Amino acid sequence: MRRTGFLSLTVAAAVMLMCGCGAANSKLSEEEAHRIVIWHDKEDAVTGVLEEKLKELEPEVTIVLEKKSDLTESLKMVGNNPSAAPDMYFFAHDKIGVYAEMGILSPITDIIPAEELSGYMQNTLEAATYKGEIYQLPIYYETLLFLYNRRYMSDDAVPETTEELYDYMQEKTGGGHYGFVEQHSTPYYAAGWINGFGGRILNDDGTPGLNSDAVIAALAYHKKFADLMPGETEYATVNTLFNEGMAHATIGGPWLIPTVRESGIDVGAAPMPVIDETGTPIAPYMGVQGIQVLQYAASNKTESVEKVLRALMDPEVQISLAQASGCAPASEECYTMPEIADDEIVMTMKETAEHAVPMPNLPEMDVMWTVVGNLLTDVNMSDEDVAESAEKAQEEALSLIKTMQ
Amino acid sequence: MNSDTKKKKKRADTLFAYLWSAPSLLLIFLIVIFPILYTGYISVTNMNVYHWNNYEFIGLQNYKDALLVFDNGFLSALFRTILWTAVNMVLQLILAYVLASLLNIKGLRLRNVYRTLLIFPWAMPGYVSILLWKTGMFNSQFGLLNQWLTKAGLEPVKWLGSNFMAFFSCTVVNLWLALPFMITIIDGALQSIDRSFYESAVLEGATWFERTRYITLPMIRPIIAPSVIITVFTTFKQFDVIYLLTQQVGSKTGADIHTILTYAYEKAFITNNYGYSSAISMMIFAMLIVFSWLSKANTKEASI
Repeated sequence: MRRTGFLSLTVAAAVMLMCGCGAANSKLSEEEAHRIVIWHDKEDAVTGVLEEKLKELEPEVTIVLEKKSDLTESLKMVGNNPSAAPDMYFFAHDKIGVYAEMGILSPITDIIPAEELSGYMQNTLEAATYKGEIYQLPIYYETLLFLYNRRYMSDDAVPETTEELYDYMQEKTGGGHYGFVEQHSTPYYAAGWINGFGGRILNDDGTPGLNSDAVIAALAYHKKFADLMPGETEYATVNTLFNEGMAHATIGGPWLIPTVRESGIDVGAAPMPVIDETGTPIAPYMGVQGIQVLQYAASNKTESVEKVLRALMDPEVQISLAQASGCAPASEECYTMPEIADDEIVMTMKETAEHAVPMPNLPEMDVMWTVVGNLLTDVNMSDEDVAESAEKAQEEALSLIKTMQ
Repeated sequence: MNSDTKKKKKRADTLFAYLWSAPSLLLIFLIVIFPILYTGYISVTNMNVYHWNNYEFIGLQNYKDALLVFDNGFLSALFRTILWTAVNMVLQLILAYVLASLLNIKGLRLRNVYRTLLIFPWAMPGYVSILLWKTGMFNSQFGLLNQWLTKAGLEPVKWLGSNFMAFFSCTVVNLWLALPFMITIIDGALQSIDRSFYESAVLEGATWFERTRYITLPMIRPIIAPSVIITVFTTFKQFDVIYLLTQQVGSKTGADIHTILTYAYEKAFITNNYGYSSAISMMIFAMLIVFSWLSKANTKEASI
């Protein structure tokens, strides 16, 4: 008896599993049309601000914020299944190319007229654009910052050029101390040097640019800095060195600052050093955080989606976010407000952003992270010839990009 | 009872046997067979970022492309994978045997404490253990090993930096993760041997070496054989240890000790081309099937 019970249960489960996916109903109930699910991967300080703001929309629209640690992969799996996918998601702009190609995203301009977006900083809108369409409503952005420990490096001793930085490193590195550390063989960090030389990891047309003269020159120049840094290049080692006062300066994200302050370090943020050879500062990638709308929600819950977007366009949200977690507002007008203009870190980020390059949002970028990671490791850690490694990486990237299609 | 009713009864028995095992067969179908079939199906389509919903049948094109992955890099990765499997299996068997024998020493105190301690690495999620080893032990700045070396006045070592050191370090971590299983199996096997064999062997004047050679090993072999085969496969397709210690994006160490899986991952899976990646998975799957046939043939031979 128990066995037949188990049998029928299994069969029932199997049948449900097979039919479940096909059973999306065409007509939404009143309640469902006013319920908006937003996926995100953010820390509590950020979601707290969003939650408070979006509560104002109740009872007309109910918002559910769901934290997904593996957001990008989950979206690939369920993006086109309305019963499992969210209505919107809050994430960096660099994945919009992938999802737009997959056909699961709706342009923001389908809901909010493009002219109303003119108040956003030009490069945040650029970041949000893929193949001529704006797929993201920008909220804040991040760039890497030049951070230094005031105990070792006074405000007026901060190096203004990379050669000054190099001299400082030569002088101070030794005995367990480092003049300057960064994740030198991680593409996201090394990109700042490459961009500063005018090179591009991935060109705007989706072709890799690794064997260009600018990239080769950047890698060759960057190597002498890497040689004065620890062999380990990952996040934990580099940040712990800075956090424990073993490294005098670093290039790190704004997310680092709260932990550094907690460990009692008087941390300062300065504009990126200017690269002597080119006269432009180190130009890190800019990541724009904002909200994307999925196609199904855009066409079936238009009204509710519009309300949420309009609520998040309020500059007050960006200011509260800047105060809660130190992120830089995407709207130009925020920078004239005293709350922001007095914030040293946010203003430094704004200055860095003038030269920053929006992270490419093309699907091709997915393979570039690995290829460039290998290239940097070959050059910085295995001491291989720069030009040869770059040529090899370029070929590898071309073949992987071809494989994507 | 005539032969006809006997036949009928037998047929009914068979039918019932299938009926009773139907739930588990169905489950096995759903979680083992179905994914394989589905992967096979995707491998003949062009499902990728650019054809997400509108993918179509493209025949064996993906397999043709996938053969390009089996280049020089793949061959050296394959060779390295075989070396990795062999080294790990030999060390695992020897160490597990020694430790299990020590656990079975007569009059050993706190036996259960040791057992619990030895099983501990198995109770921890592999991912956590591996990252703990990476930052806690091998890290060149903060790792325990280098702190000891510096205290002893020696030069710190880049444990994961060169191919040889990285292979060695990965082996150590893999042993740490895999030994509990082997020790448990061998420990159980040792306990199943009847003490009287040893008593008479001692009376006959057999040395420790002879007792091991002629009693212990032949008697535990059939018991541990299936576990050894399973472990050979898990070692062969080991991904976590090598990937997390040396290849993780953002924390590559400069060592190139790709096995076929980490190699295929970098060559295929990062492209988001599901059709192509499935074709590669199917080919690796086929390789594993061949290996399993070979090892089956071997164990049959050995047990005769």
